[in-house]
Parts: sequence; C-alpha cells; structure tokens
Amino acid sequence: MLNLNRRKFLQYSGAAGAALGTGSWAGLASAQEPLKIGVVYVSPIADIGWTKQHSLGVDAIKAEFGDKVALTVIDNIFMPQDAERVFRELAASGNQLIFGTSFSHGTPMQKVAPRFPKVAFEHCSGIVHLANLGTFEAKYYEGCYVAGASGAHMSKSGKIGFIGGFPIPDIVGPANALLLGAQSVNPDITCNAIFLNSWFDPGKEKEAANTLLSQGCDVICSMTDTATGVQVAGEGGAWSIGYASDMAKFGSGKQLTAFTLDWSSDYVRAAKGVAEGNWKPESRWDGLAGGVVKMAPYNEAIPADVIAKLKQLEADIGSGKIHPYAGELKDQDGNVKVAAGSVLADADIRGMNWFVKGMIGKLG
Amino acid sequence: MAAPVVATGLTLVVGSLLFAALGYDPLATLQAFFIAPLNSLNGLSEWLLKASPLILIACGLAVGFRANVWNIGAEGQLIVGAIAACGVGLFYPNPESPILLPLMVLAGACGGMAWAAIPAFLRARMNTNEILVTLMLTYIATLLLSWLVHGPWRDPAGFNYPQTALLSAAAMFEPFDYAYRLNASVFITVVAVFLMWLFTDRSFLGYKMSVSGAAPLAARYAGFRESSAVWIGLLAGGAAAGVAGMAEVAGPLGQLSPQISPGYGFAAIIVAFIGRLNAFGIVLGGLLMSLLFLGGEAVQMNLGLSAALTRIFQGILLFFLLAADFFIFYRLRRIPEHA
Repeated sequence: MLNLNRRKFLQYSGAAGAALGTGSWAGLASAQEPLKIGVVYVSPIADIGWTKQHSLGVDAIKAEFGDKVALTVIDNIFMPQDAERVFRELAASGNQLIFGTSFSHGTPMQKVAPRFPKVAFEHCSGIVHLANLGTFEAKYYEGCYVAGASGAHMSKSGKIGFIGGFPIPDIVGPANALLLGAQSVNPDITCNAIFLNSWFDPGKEKEAANTLLSQGCDVICSMTDTATGVQVAGEGGAWSIGYASDMAKFGSGKQLTAFTLDWSSDYVRAAKGVAEGNWKPESRWDGLAGGVVKMAPYNEAIPADVIAKLKQLEADIGSGKIHPYAGELKDQDGNVKVAAGSVLADADIRGMNWFVKGMIGKLG
Repeated sequence: MAAPVVATGLTLVVGSLLFAALGYDPLATLQAFFIAPLNSLNGLSEWLLKASPLILIACGLAVGFRANVWNIGAEGQLIVGAIAACGVGLFYPNPESPILLPLMVLAGACGGMAWAAIPAFLRARMNTNEILVTLMLTYIATLLLSWLVHGPWRDPAGFNYPQTALLSAAAMFEPFDYAYRLNASVFITVVAVFLMWLFTDRSFLGYKMSVSGAAPLAARYAGFRESSAVWIGLLAGGAAAGVAGMAEVAGPLGQLSPQISPGYGFAAIIVAFIGRLNAFGIVLGGLLMSLLFLGGEAVQMNLGLSAALTRIFQGILLFFLLAADFFIFYRLRRIPEHA
C-alpha cells in the first residue's frame, strides 16, 4: 500500500522534477499550433465562489496568451468516476496542460497522469505529486488571520463564529488562524465553529449562521461556496468575513473584509512553463506575499488607524515577520502543540486536525 | 415499439431547432452528442462502465416496481453495499486472498439487502409507506458513510482527508486492459439481466408479483400474500444496488469518500421506467442514459455547449419518451357534456 508522508512526496516530486529537467518537455515548445489547455471545474461558474475564482485564473491565461492557447473548459464535474473519464478524454484529445480544481479530482488525476507522461497535469488543493502532476494551493490561513484581527477590533461580544464546509485540514487550519488573529488583538476572544458537511447547502448554512448569531457571535466567517453566511450575518446586524470572492454586495454593508483567492499567477505560470518547454511538477503554496490570497477592501466602518494596523499585519505576514501559527499554541484541552519560539511545520499545517484553545465546537 | 421511435424522432427535431436557434450546427451537434462518444474503444468502455450500474440497479428495482413496491432508496442501498464491501476489502486478514473479491460481492449484496430489509419489515408488519422510508434511509446511509470516512475508517496516511485507504489489488476488479477502465463487474450486470428476465417472464413467483401489482385484490383472492411481494421486491432492489455499490468501490473508485455515487440509485429509477420494467428494455434504457451523460460531456468539450443546455436536451428526450408512452396507452377523447 501507498505509505508516503508529505516530506517523501516533496522529495519525490523534487527528484522527478529534476530528472525531467527541460529535456522531455522541449518538444512541445516548437509546435506552432496553439497550446491546448483543458480545465475541469467542480461546479458551474457562479457569480461568486470557488469556481468563479478559478475562471478568473483561466481568463488570465487568455489575457496573457490570446490566440496562442486553445482552452477547453468543462464544468460541474465532482464525482471521481466522472472526473477520471473527463481527464482521460482531455489528455487523449491532445491537451498538453490539464488543470483539476478540486480535491476530489486528485485520485482520478493520479490514475490518468501516468498514462499520459507527455501531458502536464496541475491539481489545485492536491497533496500527491507525480512526474507530470504538480499541485498548487493557497495559504488561506494568512488571510484568515488578518480577517480574524479585523473581527476582534469590531466585535463587542468577544465571540466570533465560523462556518466550515468540511472538517478537513484546509478548513480547520484557517478556522484556527481566524481565532489566533482575533486573539492577537483580544486574548480572551473565543470562536464557535459549525461544519455543514457540504460546500453548497444554503439552507443548512442559514441555520448555522442563525445559530451562531443566537449564541452571541457578532462576527461571522463562512468558508463554503455560497454568500449565505455573509448575507445572514448582515441581515442579523452582525459583521461578516467573506471567503474566496469579495462578498460585500451580499452583506448589507457589514462585510468587514474578505480573504479572496487569485489563482492567476498559478495558471499563467503553468501555461508559460508548458509553452516554453520548461514546465516542472511543483508544489506551489502561496499566500499574501505571492498575491494568491488577497484581502478585499476593508469596510469603511473600521477606524482608519485600525485599517492601517491591518495593512501592516498583511505586510508583516507576507514578509514572514509574523507567522499565524507561531508558538505557543495550545489545543482545546490545553496541551501545548507548538512550543513558544517555534512555528508549526508546513506539513503539520496542511494536516491540521485539531482546534486551538478558545475554539468552541467539534471536528465533524 | 412505436413509442421509442416517435420519441427519438421528435427529440431530434426539437433538439435540432434548439441547437440551430442558439447558433450551433444541428447536425454537427447531434453527431458530437450521439456518435463521437462511441467512436473509440475507450468511448465504448466508458459507455458500458457507466451503463452497467444503472442497468444492474434498474433490474433489481423493476422487480419491486412490477408489484407496486416503490423502492426509491436504491441510492442508500448502494451506499451501504459499498460500505460493507469496502469494509471486507480493507479488514479481511489476507489482502491477497483470491476469495476476497467474491466475498466483497457477497458483502455488497448483503449490505444492500440489509438496508432494504428495514423498509420491507416496516411495510410488511406495520404498513408504513416504503416510498418515504426508503428515501429517508438514503440520507441516513449518506451520513453513516460520512461518519466512517471522517472517523474510524479514515486513511491513516491520508493527511486527515475524509477517505479510506486504497483497496489492495486483489480487492479490485482488474480492467480487461489497463488502457481502459471497463472491468469484469460488467458480467455481474449481464447475469442480473438474465436472472431478472427468468424471474419476471418465466417464473410463477414473478407472475404472482405482477398480478399483485396489477390487481392487488385479485391477487389476494388467489391467495398470493402481499407481504412476500414486499419482501422480494425490496430485497431484489437492495441486493442489486448493493452489488452496484461494491462494483463502484472495487472498480473506478478504489476507496470510499464522503460521496461515492453520481446519483446512480436515482437515475436507475428513470432507467427502469424507460425500459418499461422489462429486462431487455432496461438494457436499452441504461445504454441510452449512459450515452446521454457521455454525449453531454462530449458536446461541452468539443463544441463548448453549456452543461445546462445538454441537460435540457436530455430532459427533452426523456419527456418525449414518457409522453409517447402515455399517448400509446391512453386515448384522448372528448366527453360529451351532461347537464
């Protein structure tokens, strides 16, 4: 059975990248025909949300390369059974670069990639690397930390609320960062967390947001694929924090900020690599510094001096001066997980399955 | 047999008008929809792979539907069958054993039947409505699966993501050829179709069930017990769905994750009715549904049609098929008014 840890993955993918070098990809560069790129979305492109942000990345490829690329986009592919067929079909029909945009695309891509060794595969939010399968992911927690700080400045009740899609590390980690950012302003603040076990269930999300409001939370952050959390918070007179897209227009003027995702650099970089024949399977993981995570404009209700502080915080996290998961960190039961003076290792961040002290709620 | 021909003709006409109105060449679109997906070995393999679970489940469901036993929870029975089969695959002491795969098929069937036995018992003993109970048990099955993959069965080497470890090679159906995905589980479907034909068309028990569906009172006078029709109808659907779930886990998936079925359990209900609850009709219905899925993707990929448009086209076809059936079995007649 496959028994790899993250470090081994990184070693393998590094070795694979080095072994490939530029040689085996050079053949693609000479072709005069447009570079064929396939993209698979997990849901239809909506006004806001996860797939919308990916479509902006695809737009960036179009803007950068124009006629030199031919894009094939297929949306609403979630189930692994369907995804494997679609990836295989895209690879067989001559696409030289193929993007998968959801964690659920991972296993199918791992099965298809070895069959098409000349095709470059890029998987967003993936964990496994192969000789021709690279991954890219955002450091959501950096944006969440800043958003949490903004929430603590504005909260009167000292309680913030978090709604998550699934209790997976990509969501649990940012939930912790939200609270840690808030505690950097007010050490006594707490955070109530609810998981929906769905990315898209506005009915359930509305109930969850109302529950958090009735528990006294006056700042609500929702990491799902809808604007429901922002909307319900605004209607209930609470502050809100948007995710993925700027959701200000849904928030009755109460969205403090949003940590938005901009994958343009990932998409353009991969396309450029394949076009120039020097694409390598990388594990890219960027946050505020790389511009993959961006803070939406701060609410005008936030005092100017606080906004200045938040902008400074963005810069400090970007430069590495402040690390959101710097010790000392304790879990819910008070056990020390990160000692003072050290920071949580990257592998542990991406595998985070515990709540920090002050989080109220359970994982799943 | 006129209905499918009329329906197909009407669909092609309306579909062509629709595509032309939106500025797509109707002929090229129809070609991409119905021909292009099947013009390669890989396409044929994908076609059968997608049709196989639909046909298998529809066969099981039709046994019950013929007796007016409405099992619409095949999705849940599929999930429980998949859980049972994957449990055997993951925890059987010898992961290389050649009997592992047959055991998993058995476990899948038993899992599906166990889940279907709950509504069967409640209906036979307490006369509950099996439509509601089977549907609601689907949600329970989904949550059971979610709990397992988030909790006790989570892959210890999987970065805490909600999925089980991959099954060993001996616990998976081997593809006929590694270039394609079709595997031996398609033979299970072939056997199921044959068994269903034997049961419905050649057995006395099958006849009794049809009678209790068509005329419950007559069946009671003839001494056919309603409860046995309920049990057989639900267990057949459960077993078929459970095995289909097993074939997904041991085939294209290789592991459990929070969502494992692209709605096969619900689509199979449509397949059963397109096939008019008849074994060979169901085969055609399953192949048609599967082609509609593949064709929808093909036109999206090749011509850039939106996913919504392809779904409208699929809807038109199903609508005409069922409407044509209706007008064949019923006649519209003006009833003179009485004062």
